[in-house]
Amino acid sequence: MKRQVPLVLCFVFGIVMILTQFSPHSFSQGVYKEVISWALIIGPFALVLATVTLIQTHTARIRRRTEHWQYSLVVFAGLIIMVLIGIPFGPQNTIFEWLYNNVQLPMDATTFSLLAFFIVSAAYRAFRARTFEASLLLITALIVMMGNVPVGDLIWNTVLFWTPWEDGTSWWRQWILDNPNLSARRGIILGVSLGVISQSIRIILGIERSYLGGGD
Amino acid sequence: MANIDRRIVFILVALAVIIPMLLSINLPVSVSEPTQKFYDYVEDLPAGSTIMIAFDYGPSSLAELNPMAKALLKQCFDRDIRVIGITLVVDAPTLASALIQEVAAEKGAVEGEDYVFLGFRPGAVQVILGMGTDIASVYDTDYNGTAIGEIPMMQNITNYDQIDLLVDFTSSDTVESWIVYANDEYNQKIAAGVTGVIIAQMFPYLQTGQLVGLLSGILGAAEYENLIGAPAKGMQWINVESFVHLLIVVLVVIGNISYFIHRTREE
Repeated sequence: MKRQVPLVLCFVFGIVMILTQFSPHSFSQGVYKEVISWALIIGPFALVLATVTLIQTHTARIRRRTEHWQYSLVVFAGLIIMVLIGIPFGPQNTIFEWLYNNVQLPMDATTFSLLAFFIVSAAYRAFRARTFEASLLLITALIVMMGNVPVGDLIWNTVLFWTPWEDGTSWWRQWILDNPNLSARRGIILGVSLGVISQSIRIILGIERSYLGGGD
Repeated sequence: MANIDRRIVFILVALAVIIPMLLSINLPVSVSEPTQKFYDYVEDLPAGSTIMIAFDYGPSSLAELNPMAKALLKQCFDRDIRVIGITLVVDAPTLASALIQEVAAEKGAVEGEDYVFLGFRPGAVQVILGMGTDIASVYDTDYNGTAIGEIPMMQNITNYDQIDLLVDFTSSDTVESWIVYANDEYNQKIAAGVTGVIIAQMFPYLQTGQLVGLLSGILGAAEYENLIGAPAKGMQWINVESFVHLLIVVLVVIGNISYFIHRTREE
């Protein structure tokens, strides 16, 4: 029963939602709208699930005193403080906004900004023209990188002014993005889409059951 | 030279960021085709049109996406285009609300008449699909808690049929969700402003017309500021980025020269 009910629900709703896409009839569209509104109600439960999982994970870390378990206390402190202020007083509360603007925002932005330092260091160490393919990647990356900033065109127009292209760096960058990149991306999108369709059919027909989780 | 200490590399990056900021260097910015298309589409909308802006980014991507969102908001308020702000990202409402209010105050736009910020609702796909049938079924109130039926500019707006353009500013794959569920399902016109990291994956959608325009990272922001004639953070930061990119190129060239010298000696 624990497995049959979700499988039947998945099959029925999967087939019904596919059929609604092929029928403009008012009944069909009414069913579609109704199911969408159900989905809107179900959606927030994902947040509850995420919060419960977060609490379980960090409680286990504290209990077992795993490495850096103290940081889990910080997670709980942040969670409790924001919930205690956010739920009764709303996100526009002065303290809530202060904590967001002066704690979350700078920490989040700082962590992301550190990537720039690591990327430069990694690019310097890893970008080596060891093989033909690596050389191709290197040249492409350098063109796109320089085409992404105005100094690229400035250098081109100063040094390579005799070539037929004005603003050549950004022209070549755009050509790379519009042609080889676009072709490769389209191939990936088609492959992923076919995979999604086949996986959806497997789920609707009950062949793929991993979403039900383990156990009986 | 093949192995410069990474602490030296870090110092060089810091200097490449700080020095251009202090010197206020201004390099000329040309406008790329995707940005021009975006700008032209908004310019061609008549006064009184409605644009929905999805602020689908958190503080980590604020530096790249806030300048382009700000430039678009300025253009909209200057041209009497109404703005509906929403977000699919849980940590975005505070920054999105602050940004809209900042530009609205600068341009004299009135909340509820010229713009409204609806805030966040969980379940991205369900939110996108739900607004296709009835926006009020997803957002019964705005971010301030005002009932949607009491907001003057929302009186004649039911679903995507009354939205002339949807713009997604994002650092993730939400653009693809908007394209699949709002464009394909409801024929909603979509434009996007994305971080530089994900720009490459957007080009197929631009070529098919599923995106009417595209802004690419801080370069897109600088180009847009250039187009609306209001240079701001985008123009300032693209110059900083120029020097960091130059530094990367120089370091990569040095690294390769050292590598080839080392390999020749070994042979």
